[in-house]
Amino acid sequence: MVGSVPIGESSSNRSLGLRLRGWWRLLAAIPPMLFLGVFFLWPVGAILLRGLRPAGHWNLSVFSDVLSDRSMQKVLWFTLWQSVASTLLCVLVALPGAAMFARYRFRGKQVLWSALLVPFVLPTVVVAVSMLGVIGSGGLAGVNLAGSIWAILIAHVFFNYAVVVRTVGATWSTIDPRLEESARALGARPWRVFVDVTWPLIRSSVAAAASIVFLFSFTSFGIVLILGGIRHRTLEVEIYDQTAKFLHLDIAAVLAIVQLIVVVAILLWFGRSQRRRTVLLDQRSSSETEHLPASSRQRWFIRSNLALMAVLLGLPLVVLVTRSFSTPDGWGFGFYRALTDSRGGSTSFVPPIDAVVNSLMFASMATVLAVVLGLCAAWAIVGDGSMRSDSHFSWWIDTALMIPLGTSAVTVGFGFLIVFDEPPLNMRSSLWLIPIAHTIVALPFVVRLLVPALRSIDPRLREAASTLGASPRRVWWTVDVPIVGRALAAATGFAFAVSLGEFGATAFLVRPDRPTMPVAIYRAIGRPGEYNFGQAMAMSTILMALTVVVMVMIDRFRPAGVSEF
Amino acid sequence: MKKSLLVLVTAVAIVGAACGSSGSSANSSSTIDPVLVNGRLPRFDSPVTLRVATHDSFAVSQSVLDEFEAETNINIELLPSGDAAAMTNAAILTAGNPVADVLFGFDENLLGTVLENNLLLAYQPERLSDVENSFKIDTSGFATPIDHGDVCVNFDRSAFTKSGVSIPSTFRDLTDSSVKGDLVVEDPSTSTPGLAFMLATIATFGGGDDESSNAAWLNYWKELKANGVAVVDSWETAYYGSFSGGSGKGDRPLVVSYASSPPAEVEDTTLAVDQSPTGVVTSTCYRQTEFAGILRGSANEKAAAAFLEFMLGASFQADVPAQMYVYPVVSGTPLPPTFEKYTAPVPTPLSLPYSDVAANRDRWIAQWSALFR
Repeated sequence: MVGSVPIGESSSNRSLGLRLRGWWRLLAAIPPMLFLGVFFLWPVGAILLRGLRPAGHWNLSVFSDVLSDRSMQKVLWFTLWQSVASTLLCVLVALPGAAMFARYRFRGKQVLWSALLVPFVLPTVVVAVSMLGVIGSGGLAGVNLAGSIWAILIAHVFFNYAVVVRTVGATWSTIDPRLEESARALGARPWRVFVDVTWPLIRSSVAAAASIVFLFSFTSFGIVLILGGIRHRTLEVEIYDQTAKFLHLDIAAVLAIVQLIVVVAILLWFGRSQRRRTVLLDQRSSSETEHLPASSRQRWFIRSNLALMAVLLGLPLVVLVTRSFSTPDGWGFGFYRALTDSRGGSTSFVPPIDAVVNSLMFASMATVLAVVLGLCAAWAIVGDGSMRSDSHFSWWIDTALMIPLGTSAVTVGFGFLIVFDEPPLNMRSSLWLIPIAHTIVALPFVVRLLVPALRSIDPRLREAASTLGASPRRVWWTVDVPIVGRALAAATGFAFAVSLGEFGATAFLVRPDRPTMPVAIYRAIGRPGEYNFGQAMAMSTILMALTVVVMVMIDRFRPAGVSEF
Repeated sequence: MKKSLLVLVTAVAIVGAACGSSGSSANSSSTIDPVLVNGRLPRFDSPVTLRVATHDSFAVSQSVLDEFEAETNINIELLPSGDAAAMTNAAILTAGNPVADVLFGFDENLLGTVLENNLLLAYQPERLSDVENSFKIDTSGFATPIDHGDVCVNFDRSAFTKSGVSIPSTFRDLTDSSVKGDLVVEDPSTSTPGLAFMLATIATFGGGDDESSNAAWLNYWKELKANGVAVVDSWETAYYGSFSGGSGKGDRPLVVSYASSPPAEVEDTTLAVDQSPTGVVTSTCYRQTEFAGILRGSANEKAAAAFLEFMLGASFQADVPAQMYVYPVVSGTPLPPTFEKYTAPVPTPLSLPYSDVAANRDRWIAQWSALFR
C-alpha cells in the first residue's frame, strides 16, 4: 500500500464497537486527568486564589495595576518575542538534522541519536557557565555575547535541538521515501518536493515539537538569568521574584494568569495547524527509509549537519568535560576522586553512587508513571482515529497536559505547600512528590510523541481487525501497540531524560534529603574553591555519560513487530 | 531556579495535632522553659523526630549530628528548602501549620519579615550567654544567632601583581579608572550577597531615606556603572563565570563574594598569607548573621529548644567554618587552621538596623533596578 489518505475520506462504515470505544476512551482519559487535577490544577488554583482573594474578598484591582505597569509590559513583550524567535531559530536549525537522521545511514548514527539528549538533561547553571567559556568574554568563540539576546537564543537552541530532531526525525523516518522519489521523478525540484510532499507529512510533528520548544523558551529561567544579564527578564523570572523573594502573591497571580492565557492561546494555534494537516499514511521501517549517502551532495549535507552539531552542541560540552579533568595539579581524575571525599562526613556530602542511584530510581518511577498515564491520554486524544474523534475533547486533554510546561515551577511548589497540608493528602514533604513532579513535566513529551504515531494509523486497519471479531482491547494490543512501538521507545527515552535532568520543579519542593545528580551538582557549584567547581564539572560529566548509556539502551529497544512493519 | 521552599511540617506535628495527642501550646506569647539540665542537653525517654528546615547551603558534620542524636534521643530530619528568602516565604505561607519544627538560616535582611509574620515561638537559649553581644540582634527572644559571615569584595592577587595596578582598599577605589571593567557584582534582587553589597553601599554613602534617583548611594552606583561594573544574576555566575581569581574562569579580577572565600582557595597551606590566590577588601565587608528559631505550631518545642542549644554548643560552633564557610558566634571557638590563617580580620564590618532593611528593602531594590535595567 503506497500513498496517503487525507483524514475524513476514510470509513464512514462504523461497527457496533464505536460506542464501546467511546466509552473506553472516556475511561482512558480519567487517570491522566485525575493526576493532573490533583497534582497541578488544585495546588495552582489554591495559590492563585491566595493571591487574588486574600482574607475572603476579591482583590482584582491588582490586575490593572500590574498590566498598566510599563516594566511589566516590557517583561511580557520580551518573553513573547524571544520565545517566538527561539522557536523559529530552533526549528530552522534542527530540521536539516531531523532529515539527516530520517534519511541517511552513517557511522555512529545510533550513538549520536542517543547522545543528542545530553544537553537536554544537563543542569542549566553548569551548561551556562560552560557556555560562557565559549561565547563569554575571553571565550573560545572570540566574541563576547554574554548578556545579549544572542546568548539566550543560542542557549535555547542548544537545549531544545534534540526536541525537534528527535520528535520530527522519528516521524520523518517512517515516511515512505518513494513518495518523494515519485515527485522527483515527475520533475519536481527538491524545494517543491519538500514543500508539497514532505512538509504536509511532517508538519504535525514539527508543530508538536515547536510547541514544546516554545513553552520551554517562554518559561526560560536559568538561561535568561545567567546568559541574558540583568536587562533581560522573562515572566518566569518575574513570577519567581514576586513569589519566592517578595511573597507578593497578588502580583504573582496576575502574572501567572497572563502566562496561562498566552500558553493556552499559543497551544490553540499550534493545535489547529496540527489537526488540520494530519495525514494518514502507511509507516515504513527504517530499513526501507534510510540509505547510505549516494552523492557528494548528500555527503556534504551530512557533514555540514555534523559540523553544526559539533559547534553548537559539542563545544560547550567539550569545555565542560575538559574542565572536569583540568585539576590544579595538571590533567587527571583528581576531581572525580574528590567526589568521594566526604569533607569530614558532612551532611551535605552526596556519595556519587547514591546520587546516581537516587537519580535512576526517581527517573524509573517517573518514566513508568509518565508512560502509563501518557498512553491513556494519547489513546483518549486519538480515539479511534476517525474524523469524528478529532474533537474538542481531544484538544482539551492535550492542552491540559501541556499547560504545566508553561507554568512556573515556583507557583506549583508553593501551591503544594498550602494544599497538601492535611490528611488524607498530607504529603507536603513526601518523597513521592519528586517522581510526581517529574511525571508532570514528562507527560507532554510522551503524549506528543505518541499522538502523531497513533493518529497516523489507518482506521481501516482497526476496522478490519474488529470486523474479523477482535475485541477493542485486542484491536488496541495487536494494531495500535506494535505501530506505536517506535514512538513509545522515543517517549520512554524522553521521559527518562526529563527526569534525570529535572531540577526546576523539584527545587521548589520541600523534600527530605535524597539528593539526585543535579542536586549534587548545584550543591558543589554553590561553594567556593577549585575542588568544589571541579566536582560539579565531574558530576556533570558522569551525568552526561549515564545519559548516553541509558539512551543507547532505550533506543536499542524496539518492540517486536515494528521492524516487520 | 531552584529553590524551594520551605519547609514543612512534620507529619508528626500534623498527625499529633489531628489526634489531639501531644499538648502543643501554640500560643505565641508563651515561652518555652529552659531545657538544659545542669548545662547539658536533655535526654528524651522515647525517640523524637525533629524536622529542621534549612537553606540549601546548610551542612554539618554527620559525626556532630550523630553525637547530638545519641545524647538526646532526638532524630534529626533535614529539609533543604531553597535559598534563605524562599525558605522564609514558604514558612510564612505555612505559618501555624509548619512543615518543620526549626527554621535555620534566615539573616538580618529577613529577620524583620520573620518577626512581623509571627512565625516563631520565643525561646532564649541558656547558651546565648556565650554569644558575642554584637550578634544578639533580636532582643525580643525569638531569633537565635548561630553563625555569621561577611560579604566583601574579593580580589585576584596575581592579576594585580601582573598589571602592577594597586589593589583597591576602599569603595572609592572601585570607581578609579585603573580598575575600569574589573568588578563583577550580583544583582541584589536575585542574590543574597548582591543584596548585602548593595546594603553596604547604603551603609557607607547614606541616602537610604531618599526615594529619588539621586540618593547618595545611587550616585555611587552611577559611578560604578560608568566604571564598567558587571552585574550578574548569582554568586555562582559571578565567582565561577566572571571572576579571574582562584577557581574562577572569567576575566574580572574583582568580585563580590565572602570573607571566607580566600581560605577555600588555598590548596597549599604552607603558602604565606600575602601569597594566597585571592584576598578581601576589608573596608567593603557587610556583616551577615544567620539565625534559627522554633516554628510556631511545632509539636516538638522542647526538642526544638534542645536543638537550638546544640547549635550554640562547642562542637556545632567549631564545625560551621569548614561545613558552611561561615564563622561561629560563640567567642573563643577555635577556627580550622586554613580559616585561622587565611581569613583577613574585619575590624569594623558594615551593617544596617534590621528594621530599616525590612521597611525599605523592596524600595531600595526598585531604585537600584531602575538604574540598571
